Amino acid sequence: MADELLEELEGEEDTQKGKFMTFQIGEECYGLAINYVQEIIGIQPITPVPEVEDYIKGLINIRGKIIPVVDVRIRFKQPSFEYTDRTCIIVIAVKSTVVGLVVDRIAGVITVDEKEIILPPSLSQSTSANRKYVFGLARIEGEVKLLLDPERLIQDEDVSALDGAVSGKDALAEV
Amino acid sequence: MGEDFNTDSMLDMFLYESEQLLENLQNVVLERKDEDCFDETSINEIFRVMHTIKGSSGIMMYENITKIAHKLEDVFYYLRESHPENVPHLELVDHVLEVSDFITAELDKIKEGDTPDGDESSIVADIDKFLTNLKSGITQQGEELPPENTYVAPSQFYVAPTGNESNKYYKMSVYWRSDTQMCNIRAYTAVYSLKEVVEDMQYIPDDIISNESSGDVILKDGFHMLIKCQCSKDELLSTMGETSGMERVEVNECTQQEFEMGFHDHGPEQIVIELEDKEKEPEKKEKKEPAPGDYVIKSKEAGKGKKLAKNQPKQQPKQTYISVSVEKLDSLMDMIGELVISEAVVLQNPDLKVPGLDLTNFQKAAGQLAKITTELQDVIMSMRMMPLTNTFQKMNRIVFDVSRKLGKDIELEVIGENTEVDKNIIEHISDPLMHLVRNSVDHGIESKEERIAAGKSPKGKITLEAKNEGGKVYIIVRDDGKGLNKQALYDKALKNGLIGNRSITDFSEKEIYQFITFAGFSTKEQVTEYSGRGVGMDVVVKNIQAVGGNLEIDSVEGAGSEMIMKIPLTLAIINGIVMQVGKSTFVIETNAVKEFVRIRKDMIVKEPDGEEYIMLRGECFPFIRLNRRYHLEESLTEGEDGIVVVLEHENKYICVFIDKLIAEQEIVVKPIPPYIKKVQGLSGCTQLGDGSIALILDIAGLIAGEERK
Amino acid sequence: MKILLAEDDFASRKFMSNYLGKYGDCDITVDGEEAVDAFLMALEDDEPYDLICLDVMMPVLDGYQALKAIRDIERERGIQGNDGVKIIMTTALNEERNVKKAFEMGCTVYAGKPIDLEKFEMILKKLNLIN
Repeated sequence: MADELLEELEGEEDTQKGKFMTFQIGEECYGLAINYVQEIIGIQPITPVPEVEDYIKGLINIRGKIIPVVDVRIRFKQPSFEYTDRTCIIVIAVKSTVVGLVVDRIAGVITVDEKEIILPPSLSQSTSANRKYVFGLARIEGEVKLLLDPERLIQDEDVSALDGAVSGKDALAEV
Repeated sequence: MGEDFNTDSMLDMFLYESEQLLENLQNVVLERKDEDCFDETSINEIFRVMHTIKGSSGIMMYENITKIAHKLEDVFYYLRESHPENVPHLELVDHVLEVSDFITAELDKIKEGDTPDGDESSIVADIDKFLTNLKSGITQQGEELPPENTYVAPSQFYVAPTGNESNKYYKMSVYWRSDTQMCNIRAYTAVYSLKEVVEDMQYIPDDIISNESSGDVILKDGFHMLIKCQCSKDELLSTMGETSGMERVEVNECTQQEFEMGFHDHGPEQIVIELEDKEKEPEKKEKKEPAPGDYVIKSKEAGKGKKLAKNQPKQQPKQTYISVSVEKLDSLMDMIGELVISEAVVLQNPDLKVPGLDLTNFQKAAGQLAKITTELQDVIMSMRMMPLTNTFQKMNRIVFDVSRKLGKDIELEVIGENTEVDKNIIEHISDPLMHLVRNSVDHGIESKEERIAAGKSPKGKITLEAKNEGGKVYIIVRDDGKGLNKQALYDKALKNGLIGNRSITDFSEKEIYQFITFAGFSTKEQVTEYSGRGVGMDVVVKNIQAVGGNLEIDSVEGAGSEMIMKIPLTLAIINGIVMQVGKSTFVIETNAVKEFVRIRKDMIVKEPDGEEYIMLRGECFPFIRLNRRYHLEESLTEGEDGIVVVLEHENKYICVFIDKLIAEQEIVVKPIPPYIKKVQGLSGCTQLGDGSIALILDIAGLIAGEERK
Repeated sequence: MKILLAEDDFASRKFMSNYLGKYGDCDITVDGEEAVDAFLMALEDDEPYDLICLDVMMPVLDGYQALKAIRDIERERGIQGNDGVKIIMTTALNEERNVKKAFEMGCTVYAGKPIDLEKFEMILKKLNLIN
């Protein structure tokens, strides 16, 4: 499944605007602008890293490159799920940061015209946690897809410069 | 970056020597800046430098440099001859540095291939005024002026060639269709038309005019040319045109060396590859002086290089330097890392684990392989390592300039400047380092009055330190200035909306110090020329993070601050011991491992607060169960079932409980992706032979973690 | 101005003679020996050359040998220092030791090829060969 989608991705390189990779997490369907997506791989053994945020599942090895993996459900403060063999990892690149996102399953690539994107209402069914990351909604074939902003997904207050460089208590102890 | 020095060429020698002289000059001056005047040795040295530069630039016809060097030489001539008293020292220092800067700027232009068109007249006029005052000072002391420092114009000149860099070298091959007649004549036509635009060329077969059967050779093997010219591939092709029968033409760039080597078969040469920005003394003494008669052309045959009377230098083993693109070195570095990993994959392959297999020969061969890979690593890593000396020396000048302009008296102490660091890192930390040093001078060190009032010595001190530790390079900028005020930092961050609504107690001391690295932060009400614009520190941190490092800030208010850059070595390959805890694999640097012990329950001492210790030979060591520390599942819990590893770091000991040992091997240290915030006790990760990922334990971190509790 | 050109390569010869022709009469020789002969001849005819442009790599005698021969002849006749003919060596050899040797042996200017014509003209002025 992942391979077919990859071909779809590559074929549509030239006209990437307005194209989103959609995937399922729990009950909801999300979309991510295709130009951020580097590749999609099936679930693989993840090496856990101790003492990190709960949504960081650990590290995986892709052809020699070591990449951190995030469980998007946990990021959205939703209960975690069992990884099955349909579970996928979407590898995205946001500026120079490469991260893998674990999602339930891939839905496909859709084209959304800018005009069709609706701004998320202030009160929505989606939980407040993932509202931050959603920049718009698109209605495709009767289904509402929540369009994610990967930059916010990657860089959020919790993972800001405050914690980034040095964790205060740890640093104090290191000296 | 324009630093290829073929230190044989006249121009390059001039540039190289002049730069060296100016560097010496700057060092001499900065060493003496705090004194009242220059001592005799310094005066002689400065005179000598200016005299030499005056002479050589005169020969090279760089008149502006000659004039300015002559003027300064004049000043030092009088200083040397008359020893006047009360020379305005700081003014003199300024003039010397001014001249040095001017000449450096002109030399840079020459290096880039531009005209050195700087106008020296205003600086010369200033120095002239200084000199006039000096002279009148001398005569007022009742002394006679020494005879004029006459300027003897050079009588011999060197004109540097133009467009040297634009010489291009190509290898061109032409193939004709198999039914073509008289290929040798066609080849000659091609050569003839190309001669209009090429500077030099050789071709093979070379007897195209004299030997008709060369045409057959050409049909079979093609006609090959080595060309030196200034034009592009396309220009070459269009000049040569197309004669009928040409089947295909190939043009490829080649190196000057390949062009010089020609089509002859040369024996193996000894070539030593060195990075040219390592400063080495030019090996002048080893070169033979050219003797008259060496260059007589003995034979000049069409298409062959001119054979000269002197010995072909190619037959002598020569130590040559090759300039290598940094990109190639980078990919070489990557590949060596992959090689180490591949080696592990091969040597630890599960396929080999067939019981009863006799692997003696295999082991021997494997040992040899490992030996070679290790040597290869060493050579490659050494190619990229450079001492920080130069970078640190530059700081000298910055401290001097900024402290002077601000009226502060500051001493710069440098420790560990010989520490070697990957070239890539040097390029990235140069600017951040400058910024940190400027900050210390500008904001850190207080004015003389403030320092005296605070009971400190009026002279401020900034220390630059570099050291290699645990696969990282530490570069520290330490000052004994006024330190950071936590409340002020907090207030400012709050005011600029950088920290939301959190109270000051939410943050640790170090976290508060980190505020100054946030974009848009600045406690300086006044933006100075040097710092305080609020765009500096966050850029500094970004640059450091770009090489995988981080910046730690520590401070004691009133006493000073410390900025510590911690940067992982680009490629660290260390010897490590791989071990298992539960389902996770960890690696510890072999050097840190003191011993392995199997313990008995009675050796474990438990404190009421849960802390555990191990009694070993009468001594007590902190005991860490990694499974608990890192909340790992499925690991052994009984002390007796697993193994205890005794680790040491800086004379502190710690015991770690693991399930079992797996192997000792070389591992490539890869940084944990920066997306994951730092975990105490982990310094990186690596890929094992089977493709799985192991985490590298940082002993210092583990020990520190224990101490904190 | 009387100029002597010693250059073994046809293309360079054509180029230099065209260029130098602007400043005076240019005589052409193709090897070191011919150049020394021409120099001697002019001296004996009492119409010495003002400027000699010598290539380094030439058949029979190379530039250094020709330079030495010319300076030796001058010394023999008591022609010293600044009175001697101005000699410009032109060559693609730009190594420092080649330049140093040439200076030691008495050449006035060492010009690396390809020649920087602007600087070349400056030098001719400096040497008072042209205005």
